[in-house]
Amino acid sequence: MKNLNKRTLSAQELDLLAKELDAVRARAMADVGKKDARYIRHVVALVRYSAFAGRALLMLSFFPPAWMLGTLLLALSKIVENMEVAHNVMHGQYDWMGDPSLNGQTYEWDLVGTSDNWRTSHNFMHHTYTNIKGMDDDVGYGVLRLFPEQRWKPHYLFQPFYAVIFALLFQWGIAIQELRLGQLFSGKKSKEKFSEEFAPVKRKMRQQMFKDYVFFPLLAGPFFLPVLAGNFVANGIRNVWTYSIIFCGHFTRDAEIFPKSVLKDESRGHWYMRQIKGSSNLEGGKLLNLLSGNLSHQIEHHLFPDVPAWRYAEMAKEVRAICDRHGLHYNTGSFMKQAGQVTWRILRYAFPSKTSSAQLNEFRAESTAS
Amino acid sequence: MSIHVYNNCIYIYFRTNTVHPNLATFSLLDAVFSADAFDFWARKVHPLWSWQQPLAQIVSKHPESNDAVTLVLKPNRHVSAFIAGQHINVSVEIDGRQHSRSYSPRYLANNHIAITVKRIEGGKVSTWLCNQSQRGDIVQLNAPFGEMTLKERPNHAVFLAAGSGITPFLSLIQAHAKTGQRITLLYWVRDDASACFAEALTQLAQANPAFRLHLLMTQPKDGIASDRIHLAQINALVPDLASTHWYACGPEGFVSTAAALATQLNRPFLGEAFSLPELAASQGEHVQIQLLKSRKTLSVPAGEPLLSALENAGIQPAHGCRRGICNTCACPKNSGTTRNILTQEEQHEAVSGLRLCISAACSDLTLDL
Repeated sequence: MKNLNKRTLSAQELDLLAKELDAVRARAMADVGKKDARYIRHVVALVRYSAFAGRALLMLSFFPPAWMLGTLLLALSKIVENMEVAHNVMHGQYDWMGDPSLNGQTYEWDLVGTSDNWRTSHNFMHHTYTNIKGMDDDVGYGVLRLFPEQRWKPHYLFQPFYAVIFALLFQWGIAIQELRLGQLFSGKKSKEKFSEEFAPVKRKMRQQMFKDYVFFPLLAGPFFLPVLAGNFVANGIRNVWTYSIIFCGHFTRDAEIFPKSVLKDESRGHWYMRQIKGSSNLEGGKLLNLLSGNLSHQIEHHLFPDVPAWRYAEMAKEVRAICDRHGLHYNTGSFMKQAGQVTWRILRYAFPSKTSSAQLNEFRAESTAS
Repeated sequence: MSIHVYNNCIYIYFRTNTVHPNLATFSLLDAVFSADAFDFWARKVHPLWSWQQPLAQIVSKHPESNDAVTLVLKPNRHVSAFIAGQHINVSVEIDGRQHSRSYSPRYLANNHIAITVKRIEGGKVSTWLCNQSQRGDIVQLNAPFGEMTLKERPNHAVFLAAGSGITPFLSLIQAHAKTGQRITLLYWVRDDASACFAEALTQLAQANPAFRLHLLMTQPKDGIASDRIHLAQINALVPDLASTHWYACGPEGFVSTAAALATQLNRPFLGEAFSLPELAASQGEHVQIQLLKSRKTLSVPAGEPLLSALENAGIQPAHGCRRGICNTCACPKNSGTTRNILTQEEQHEAVSGLRLCISAACSDLTLDL
């Protein structure tokens, strides 16, 4: 399996791969229309109804089951909004509808990070430079060591602990990702530049804090604290869930990391291949598809980021057949299996990795080959 | 309205354009109120309720001729007022996509709005409005535009209409004939069946002596055929040409002939032609790109990726991957034809997110950039 995974395709094979995947995309796009509009509007309705029901139940917090159910419904609403609506809308998957409330350039999500920063760090950097060390900040988010190719430093010994904190506070991590605090601390970024970049983020953080921890708790009057607690827990559940889905998408055992050199004159076929090798899917059925915003089909999402995501499950059959034909490993497994592999990486690469020297040399050779 | 917290005090503003941006550092109300959420719930109560969208509901629909219908629309409070002779962009959703076309609206009693739609062969919106639309359907009515009004207060207005070019004139005649405004209408149609409003116009002519109607059929089922527009015909039908202002509306060829005649007779002239599908420019030819936000018009080579073409012309659009992945360079296209460089598909419609890096111009374009 490992050998198959590392197989590299020739230029002609890559061209053929690009042609075949382009054809899959073209077939899906030709069918885009009424069904997709109806789907995304149903999902938006689910977000609104579940948020309403969740917040209403939290107002009745004197009855403990109402608090529990309210919190879960609010978490569900936030998860579906972030994953299936916001993430996919911001990719421009529904721009063709011409509906201003589903416009990729202007959509603002229910998260402390700004949509504008997400459009840069995720849509551009992560999707263009997927799993390229030093280009794709999602590789460890600047705080975790997940691949032997990342240089070990002593503080990684603590990563099993702070990875948990990072998961619990994931929305704050996303919020500050694009601010690149490392550059500020090392003096590469001026304080003025930082304040300028931080202003919109600060505004968004205040808005989100006001909504969940002032406005709705105040609305509940005597149940201020239970509502605040419910909102806090709902945000936390969403954080851990989105963290898990994103990490399972790129940091499983067989997911590959690439050196910057691959970018030199990269063909469309090679970009496609890199998306397949750097991504991993989750098998789990329709509920998992919805709750993950169809990132259960991370491979298809990375191949076709602008195709309405609910179509990935159908497209996956063809993609898998194409991968098999080209001898490319199609990385998929159950949520538990993939999450287990990610957890192993977090634990394993907290420590220096001897076994990696051969791979490392290969990686460095590739880096300097250009 | 917005609420601001500043120096530990809560200020409530009714938002105006004069609020200094530094004062409006953050608006907490935006955190708990969104127009989209309001619309979602409001429309469950009433289909026309919206925070800011100009919507209208089709309340009745009746045939006007063999290939045209009149739709009566009930607008909500966000629909802008228009004056007789102006156009309005009507947006409808067909197969999940918003499509928009211009029509000439007129007011009816109780502030309802009527538009008359002629079915065009292969026309998405006109076919939908004529065949599929039903009572109760919701359409969007955007801000009115157009210069075909009688604001010059001419002594004697001559209206030259061909086919569905009649629509702006109908609202002008209805609005002005009863005030004693002298109007002569020359209305060219193919035959009886294709003459929209023939009955309404005849009644208006009978009721208002200042309004004279000449219905000219180029291919009548019986009777004598009239010629297409020419000088002798106008001389014969319009008295006192020297005191006239001319207004023409119809297909491009008709309006340009009318304009030439007006120049020949030295008459003030205002014309409006239906836009025809723009011709695709061939590779290397230059096209005009109008940028609405930066108020610039540039000439760039057709067939070249728009992102680099705009950059070469000194514009710096926001961009990321330069290969159609990240959507950073997407901007609204209001008009014109583009080709997707990856799929070779042509796009003639207005779109809300045109990716500049993988699109090339095939015609003059208007971009909201």
